[in-house]
Amino acid sequence: MLAQATVNGILLGGLYGLATVGFSMVWGVMGVINLAHTSFIMLGAYVTYFLFEKLGMDPILSMPFAMAAMFVLGYGIQRFILNGVIRTSLLLSLVVTFGIDLILTDATSLAFTSDVRSVNASYASTSIALFGTLVPLVRLLAAGLSLVLGIAFFVFLRRAGLGQAILATALDREMSNLMGINPQKVFALTAGAGAALAGAAGSLSSMLFPVSPAMGVSFLGAVFVITVLGGIGSVEGCIVAGFLYGLVQAWAAYFLGTNFQEIVAFALFLGVLVIRPQGLFGRAFFGEHA
Amino acid sequence: MSDAAILQRQAKVSTFRPLLWTGVAVGLVVLCVAPLGISAYWLRVLTTVLMYVIITQGLNVIVGITGYHAFGNGVFFGIGAYACGACMAAGLPFVVGVTGAIAVSAACALILGRPILRLRGHYFAIATVALNLAAVQIIIQIGGITGGAQGLALPLSTWEPKPLYVAIYYLMLAGAVVCTAIVALLLKLPLGFALRAIRDSERAAAVMGIDTTKAKVFAWAISAAMTGFAGGVWAYWITFIEPSSAFDPGVGVKAYIMLIIGGMGSVLGPVIGASAMEIVSTLVWGGFLKAHQLILGVLIVVICIVAPNGIIDAGARLARSWRSRHGAS
Repeated sequence: MLAQATVNGILLGGLYGLATVGFSMVWGVMGVINLAHTSFIMLGAYVTYFLFEKLGMDPILSMPFAMAAMFVLGYGIQRFILNGVIRTSLLLSLVVTFGIDLILTDATSLAFTSDVRSVNASYASTSIALFGTLVPLVRLLAAGLSLVLGIAFFVFLRRAGLGQAILATALDREMSNLMGINPQKVFALTAGAGAALAGAAGSLSSMLFPVSPAMGVSFLGAVFVITVLGGIGSVEGCIVAGFLYGLVQAWAAYFLGTNFQEIVAFALFLGVLVIRPQGLFGRAFFGEHA
Repeated sequence: MSDAAILQRQAKVSTFRPLLWTGVAVGLVVLCVAPLGISAYWLRVLTTVLMYVIITQGLNVIVGITGYHAFGNGVFFGIGAYACGACMAAGLPFVVGVTGAIAVSAACALILGRPILRLRGHYFAIATVALNLAAVQIIIQIGGITGGAQGLALPLSTWEPKPLYVAIYYLMLAGAVVCTAIVALLLKLPLGFALRAIRDSERAAAVMGIDTTKAKVFAWAISAAMTGFAGGVWAYWITFIEPSSAFDPGVGVKAYIMLIIGGMGSVLGPVIGASAMEIVSTLVWGGFLKAHQLILGVLIVVICIVAPNGIIDAGARLARSWRSRHGAS
């Protein structure tokens, strides 16, 4: 039983890690805590749901569509709303994104009702026996793809020109500006990429969790804890912290009972904040000075 | 700015001041006699407005004056509500309950303040949110006198409903006036200067010999006491509290938005922000039952873009630009 709980926790943690990477990057690069991030997850799940329901498209095939749609949304919101706001005051972005989250969530429930829906792929109930535990195929797929996307984003930041521009802006905004990088564009790009990753996470989680306008909120706690645990703005930290978070949650539920899951998560969160605010992998990113 | 311009500006301020105080006095008189002539619905709305004035004023102390963005300050609202509820469920009178609400909230801020106020900026903001969310779980786990997840019913008053609601209205009004007075007084006291120095530069404040930790923790305790008072009275007003309603993160977030609308660090800003926001959202509630969240969201975004320093500032800037355009010709 413990082995089963451990495996399930770690696999779920992979998905949580992917759900957090974008949030953490946006925070690290421009110091914005994007409270609308979880509604990108929710909208990504809706894209997958409708493609699955109307066109019968496999959830994994529809993931790129969810990512593209969320990229456009995230890019647009940053370009036309947030870029203007963060010039006035960084902390104001917290309130603005809260407002955007209200808009997106309420618009979703107005357009698609607040019914709970589900995506049941043909292989939804398939499990694989592994080291004496039963691993559900969808969880394995979700965790595996999350890991692949997380690593791909990590490599993109280190190798691609655009990725390096993002990192440079995160490390020293003024200097990167002098090198000819336009921070406004980098911000929009980062927000778009962050939203796309959230959309991917939503797309994958539509296979595991019921799809509803309220599903985004259920990620909020995990997203915060993992960001702080992994270190703000650190992709590799996010992925590791995601697995760790999944593991801690599973063990808390196993040893203490499900009631204690959230208490343990918050204790972890406050503990890391007070003892090691830079997180496991954190560095002096812009968000830390703000 | 030339000397003449400065003199002119001072003259303008001195004509503005009495006008402002007349407005405040008239407003107070209207609020004092209001319960005589309004319906039960509007009494409820006004009581809520006054409650948010108290909470926003409490937030003003820590956010507006000290510069620590306590996004989850609503935790003290819940603590106050539960302190009052637990006292009254134990058979103590309401006065003890409210005193307990103030004392317990302030004590929690004093204890939690030391570790948490070491954090800055975003970190502090989210740590307070985490506190708020954790409090829900803690209350559920404690059970016993808090009623746990089932909620807590306060003993019913022996008063008739109508005079009781009017009494609660006056209590909230008194709280709002006292909290506003405390903020006004604080700005004149050495502590107020110390706090504003911390807001502008904590390191510089420390160099000037201010015990920054002590000042910050003290400010948070004042903030918590105000918020806790509102929570305690609210608990008695609502008579049934549960963790999710008492520790609703929306309370703290709403107060934060009200503070932005009104203008941070000013004495009357929270009063104006809370009144404007609460009355507008009440009207929105009535008019658009389905889309009120959406409209509230749009409102928040628009206000933050158009008037990031509050509506008073935006209005003043608008008036100035209008005057310079029309006065120049």
